[in-house]
Amino acid sequence: MRGGAIPILAWGTILLVLTIGNWVWDDKPVNGAAASAAVVIIYSFGVAVWLLRREAIRRGPPEPGTEIENVPAASLSAMVIGLAVGCALFGLVWAKFLLYFGIALFVASVGRLVLEVRAERASRRRVLEERELR
Amino acid sequence: MSVASAPPARIPRFTGWLGAAVSTDHKRMGLTLGVCSLFFFGLGGVFALLMRTQLAQSNMQFVSDNSYNELFSMHGSTMIYLFVTPMAIALAMYLVPLQIGALRLSAPRLALAGLWTWLCGGLVMQQGWFASGGAGRAGWSSIAPLSNGTNTPGVGQDLWVIGVLLAACGTLVMAACVLATIARRRAPGMSLLRMPVFTWTALVSVLMVVASFPMLVLVMILLYIDRHGGHIFVGFAGAIDYQDLFWFFGHPVVYVMFFPYLGAAAEAIAVNSHKRWFGYTAFVGSIMAFAALSMAVWSHHMYVTGGVTNQYFAFTSTALLVPAGIEYFDAIGTLIGGAIVLRASMLFALTFFIQFLVGGLTGIFVASPVLDYHAFGTYFIVAHFHYTLFAGSVFGFFAGVYHWFPKITGALLREWLGKLQLLVMVIGTNLTFFPMFFLGNDGMPRRISRYPTHPGWGTLNELETFGAGIIALGVLLFLINVVVSLRRRVPAGDDPWLGHTLEWATTSPPPPLNFEAPLPPIRSYAPLLDLREEALDRARERREVGPA
Repeated sequence: MRGGAIPILAWGTILLVLTIGNWVWDDKPVNGAAASAAVVIIYSFGVAVWLLRREAIRRGPPEPGTEIENVPAASLSAMVIGLAVGCALFGLVWAKFLLYFGIALFVASVGRLVLEVRAERASRRRVLEERELR
Repeated sequence: MSVASAPPARIPRFTGWLGAAVSTDHKRMGLTLGVCSLFFFGLGGVFALLMRTQLAQSNMQFVSDNSYNELFSMHGSTMIYLFVTPMAIALAMYLVPLQIGALRLSAPRLALAGLWTWLCGGLVMQQGWFASGGAGRAGWSSIAPLSNGTNTPGVGQDLWVIGVLLAACGTLVMAACVLATIARRRAPGMSLLRMPVFTWTALVSVLMVVASFPMLVLVMILLYIDRHGGHIFVGFAGAIDYQDLFWFFGHPVVYVMFFPYLGAAAEAIAVNSHKRWFGYTAFVGSIMAFAALSMAVWSHHMYVTGGVTNQYFAFTSTALLVPAGIEYFDAIGTLIGGAIVLRASMLFALTFFIQFLVGGLTGIFVASPVLDYHAFGTYFIVAHFHYTLFAGSVFGFFAGVYHWFPKITGALLREWLGKLQLLVMVIGTNLTFFPMFFLGNDGMPRRISRYPTHPGWGTLNELETFGAGIIALGVLLFLINVVVSLRRRVPAGDDPWLGHTLEWATTSPPPPLNFEAPLPPIRSYAPLLDLREEALDRARERREVGPA
């Protein structure tokens, strides 16, 4: 995590300089707006990483951590979410019933995803409790 | 770092094909994405062969004019949205966590959803072939007003729009996961300036995807609305606005399709030269600048419209030469004084740099508005971008495949077949794309299914068609090599090339959580090379102080 936000923010700053150049040199609002949007997206990503852990803005190598983290091995719901989005948009062009089917599938798979995440969190809690008992 | 896994009672175990389909392991996702991309590469290649057959002679009637429009549109779209870009992400998804010593990808479920969204996009786009009126036929960029509902009616073009939208969303999500992994999951000791060269190239690529792909998503939504009575891109201003928005994505994606392959070629050159990558810090700075500049050059695709500020975009486009020059300088610096081994991966990497040079140098011509006015819309442009994307990126891709195949599968590819493939592909590539410079300079327009009898054009086009067949033979040799190498396995061992980076510190193929043994100390971007050099130093010291 340490330093993770630095390249993102640095690159956002280079983009900002080029965007200012574009605003000055090119009077088309579409160009300036597009370039500014890219800067905002990159800065938002960088700031999000920074807010997640403050050390993301500090230089230096990451230090060893002792946190327990979940490593999901498989996720049927994530796959079905992808298929559901595809199905719904395909249905928009091809056949309306696929649109509704895709939306229903999306909702169902999000529900399933919530169950998966809750099961994972329970597993993490259990491991933490076992560790404390030891 | 400890690990807790989900309880089996709530989350069932999946095996076989379904196991691969639902796996959130970054290696399996990377492989699935890579294999699907290769399938689309084959499909796009078939479209190219059909196009070249049509163009073999003037006034051929192999396919109809409409089918030809579909073929070149779907060839470009398939190659860009469904092969080169996703393959770059596939390489990053597989290798980045290994290279930075991470156990897993950040937000793996999101990445898996992105993978399947992208795959749906590819399939939806290809569904157009079964639609009445055929597939999308307004080019890979589908410039408005050509692509609006009046000029390109039919479900096929709608499916193209939705396909691109889905593929773009999926790619964007997967790239964001790779970016978050680099930001959050580096191993202890892995500072930013200790990340491997490939990881840096992957980082700038995903930064560009995150910054530019939202524009493609927006453009496709607007185009869909426009095609269904929205009247968004109307008149000259509408056409210019579409192009401004599209090329804001369209140029950075060229570098998304370049950087990871540059990284792969750089890794292959450093390892096969038994040296550290020369000028690492300058390289990192140059690719950051390269990536940023590449997001400020998009309107050089629009000089001829008269609707852009030529000076600004000519300046930024020409300025790309500086970081590109640094990369070439670094590659040459790495080779000088190295103990060079000419394996297939090294030869592909060297060829990548040489072939890409042709694309890069002709890029200087078309960065200049006055020269672009002459070359625009001709085969000169087709030659230029095929030298960057095919002769460049695809050779870099094969350098990466020959370099990392043993890590991914645990088996060695046949070197002689690799070298034969390289020879065949170099001949085919140059036979196909080099004559296009002459045709373009002579004024032969691109995107035409038939051309008039003109002195020299017929012979050059015949040569190109012949060359395209030779490229196909080269790809076939690669597939044969993969099949033979997987069926009659020659075990690779964990580190067959004496690699420099962390992926070579684990087993081949890597275990589910990437590393079973503790990681070596990370004191530079080449930790395994550090270990070997330290061992060598110790051996020298012992010899000096030990008994004679």
